[in-house]
Amino acid sequence: MTLRARAGRTGMMRAGMILPPVLLLALLFLYPLALVVRDSLSPDGAGGGALSTRAYSDVFGEASFRDALLNTIGIAAGATAGTLVLGFVLAFVVAFVPFPGSRALSRFIDVFLAFPSFLITLALLFVYGTVGMANGLWTDVTGASSGPFDFLHTPWGVLLAEVTYFTPFVMRPLLAAFAQTETAQLEAAASLGARPGRIVRQVVLPEALPALAAGGGLVLVLCLNEFGIVLFTGAKGVTTLPTLVYGKAILDGDYTGACVVAVVNVALSAALYGLYRMLLTRTGAHRARPV
Amino acid sequence: MNVRAANVRAMNGGIRNGGIRFDGVTVAYDATVVLDDFDLTVEPGEVMALLGPSGSGKTTALRAVAGFVRPRTGRVLIGGQDVTALPPHRRGIGMVVQQYALFPHMRVEANVAFGLKARKVPRGEIAGRVAEALEMTGMDGFAERYPRELSGGQQQRVAIARALAVRPGVLLLDEPLSALDARLRAGMLTELARLHRELPGLSMLYVTHDQSEALTLADRIAVMDRARLRDCGTPQSLYRAPGSAFTASFVGSANLLAARWCGEDAVELDGGVRIRVRGSGGGEGEATLCIRPHLIGLGEPPGPSGPPSPDVPDMNVLHGAVTGLQWRGASHRVTVSLPPSGAELTAEVRELSSPPALGEKVSVHFAAADAVVLPPGGTP
Amino acid sequence: MPAPYSLVHGRGARWALRALFLVLFLPLFALPLLVIAAASFATGWSGALPNGATTAHYADLARGDSADALLVSLLTAAAASGLALLTGTWAALAAQALPRRVRRAVNALFVLPVAVPSVVVGLAFLVAFSEPPLLLNGTREIVVIAHTVLVTAFAHQSVTAALARLDPAYEQSAASLGASPARVLWQVKLPLLLPSLTAAAGLCFALSMGELSATMMLYPPDWLPLPVRIHAATDRGALFTGAALAVVLMATTLAVLLAVSRIRSKASYRQPS
Repeated sequence: MTLRARAGRTGMMRAGMILPPVLLLALLFLYPLALVVRDSLSPDGAGGGALSTRAYSDVFGEASFRDALLNTIGIAAGATAGTLVLGFVLAFVVAFVPFPGSRALSRFIDVFLAFPSFLITLALLFVYGTVGMANGLWTDVTGASSGPFDFLHTPWGVLLAEVTYFTPFVMRPLLAAFAQTETAQLEAAASLGARPGRIVRQVVLPEALPALAAGGGLVLVLCLNEFGIVLFTGAKGVTTLPTLVYGKAILDGDYTGACVVAVVNVALSAALYGLYRMLLTRTGAHRARPV
Repeated sequence: MNVRAANVRAMNGGIRNGGIRFDGVTVAYDATVVLDDFDLTVEPGEVMALLGPSGSGKTTALRAVAGFVRPRTGRVLIGGQDVTALPPHRRGIGMVVQQYALFPHMRVEANVAFGLKARKVPRGEIAGRVAEALEMTGMDGFAERYPRELSGGQQQRVAIARALAVRPGVLLLDEPLSALDARLRAGMLTELARLHRELPGLSMLYVTHDQSEALTLADRIAVMDRARLRDCGTPQSLYRAPGSAFTASFVGSANLLAARWCGEDAVELDGGVRIRVRGSGGGEGEATLCIRPHLIGLGEPPGPSGPPSPDVPDMNVLHGAVTGLQWRGASHRVTVSLPPSGAELTAEVRELSSPPALGEKVSVHFAAADAVVLPPGGTP
Repeated sequence: MPAPYSLVHGRGARWALRALFLVLFLPLFALPLLVIAAASFATGWSGALPNGATTAHYADLARGDSADALLVSLLTAAAASGLALLTGTWAALAAQALPRRVRRAVNALFVLPVAVPSVVVGLAFLVAFSEPPLLLNGTREIVVIAHTVLVTAFAHQSVTAALARLDPAYEQSAASLGASPARVLWQVKLPLLLPSLTAAAGLCFALSMGELSATMMLYPPDWLPLPVRIHAATDRGALFTGAALAVVLMATTLAVLLAVSRIRSKASYRQPS
């Protein structure tokens, strides 16, 4: 056997090592997803009958679906905007106005990210629930029989919970970006006569933009897919696409309908994720640094 | 004829009288003193090099002028005005650092215009002043580029243009050439020297650990060591008459030998070798003998026809064995070990056609006037 | 070392920003977790502070099936994070031998499960594995496998990132010393990657412990992880029991993360960061 052929063969073998995990993922992830798409197109029973889009027109015709779709997009967009603003402010203070304990804080954020989202809704039930802290305080102070805070079971409650839970997801890449911003650049700007406000706008912000975009895009997708927060608010008040999938499949036993909603949800997420990747490469163009 | 002359005139007109004064400045982080009771005056239009090893406090001194470190005690004055309490953006300085610190997301043009916009220079004036600064640094024609599209030397020129565009009275340079290779460094040194000639009103504080940069560019050199100012003077005076062994080894190269005074104009090396030195009134006890390598000759001194001769009592002649030989193109460096102590002396002589072999016995000679006696310490 | 440059100079401005930070940060992030902890010890909560203190909720947990739920969660998370780490690391290492384009496609494929709603993954499992040849619906394994699929992306991502940071000089000098690819992998690459691997394992474990969406679609009656219990409790109005269960969940997750970070700091001398 020639040397080249041998080198070629070991190269092939090394490349072939990728097959086991890829095949596993195909079997456990791609194949089930493909079946969801197939079932959404076979309203007359799994695998049987001709392909038809009848299930789609049925689902699109339901008011509950249109509500869920609008809720999902609206809450996701609002939560993303909220996390971007809040995340930028908080990360900025941690990075540039350091104070004792700000390092412990970034550890806290890491831990926070590891906790499940529904804990936030659970906590909000105690804080703003009908018999929670805020209302209790109100009735104690004013003597009224019930408090004014009753938004937890509305989209606003979901929005508040999502902003709370997802803000650290924006802070983390931002903190990494801020850590990479060269102090020398900030100093150069200050020595040239720029006030802190100008430095933030013209030096810090442009350089953090890719990180901001990355964090924002991730949060947008995660919000579109969020389930736990919405489920814990008491699903009757607010329905989003993921809770609609759960409702149709588990509560109603309507698998075809659930598959249709699932396909819509995935398509929406994929489209927005793609949009965000595109945005990322575009804003990322300025990032390349001389070596 | 001549845009350049006009630009130079315009910029000179804009530069305020600079000058820097450190007045007992002490900087400390927690318990560590990084700059200790520092006094130094940089005259308007003067280039002052802060020379010293890393950790000597030179960068801290520069950052105290820029306002990035706050002195624990003492004052910093720029152009006669106390700026100790002013934030950096109100000090009217220009600063250039080793890693350029150009804004990567702005074109060259925007980088240079940044300081002008920050200082609210009228919009109509900005384009002209950007062009002027780029022209002065030879970077006209690169205005549309991004920093990443430029070489290191070009980036540093842009950084200098950016600092000059605001017409500062004081230009702070922190190891500005350290990131460049040797050839570019030499070219940039020439450029900086030209800028210094063309902008006589501009004071420059130039931090470096490289003595050749300091010797080439500076009007005066401040030698720093362990948070303190050791010596300050013109390059020539520091070179010819260093005040300490530390300065001698940091400004130019030097043979430093432990010695002991014996009389008005002589010292004795370990082992009793007597050396006549530059008459300075003499002294007592321990001392350090300093002889520049290029002032040492190899072999017996020239005969009676030459200016110095063995009859002239001012000439020292020593004998030893060659322990090291380096060829350096135009010169040879010959290291000779002197018995009985084994102290080593290095001579830098014009390239030898037949260099001595290692171990060969040779003599070396140097004039008493070239043997300088310094306070003790600093010898190997 | 020179002190880090602070953008804000005035003392007052600095403190104002810090105050703003605390005003935003404390109520938003620290308060929820504290509230849950406080509620788990409360007899009731109808004012600014809990009405009274009790450990009754924990006593109830100890009597009920909650210990089982904790065990179920721990076993599921351990199995899922182990499998995910194996698959993710394998894929990340094998992808290095691929041409650039193929490698990027493979990396994109492994990130995909993050972009798909977990509920949809649960639904897809129900659809795919309720019929032969793979009849898994109603088994415990289906929960473990679903968790594995969901967290593999995180393991793969962090190992890929660590590999990109790894200086190829280590690998090359090992190879130049005559080490076979297998030896390079076991004695050089994996030890150097250890800190990233343990961090990835910790993250996967934590995510699996808290997984709710796919689990709600798939769990069999004899395999109820903690999050499902917490939902069941709050859904029937037993908020304080839910809070106690949540504290158990958080404490367990924290303990595991802490243990993992200890392994990490032990190994971190291997790779200066």
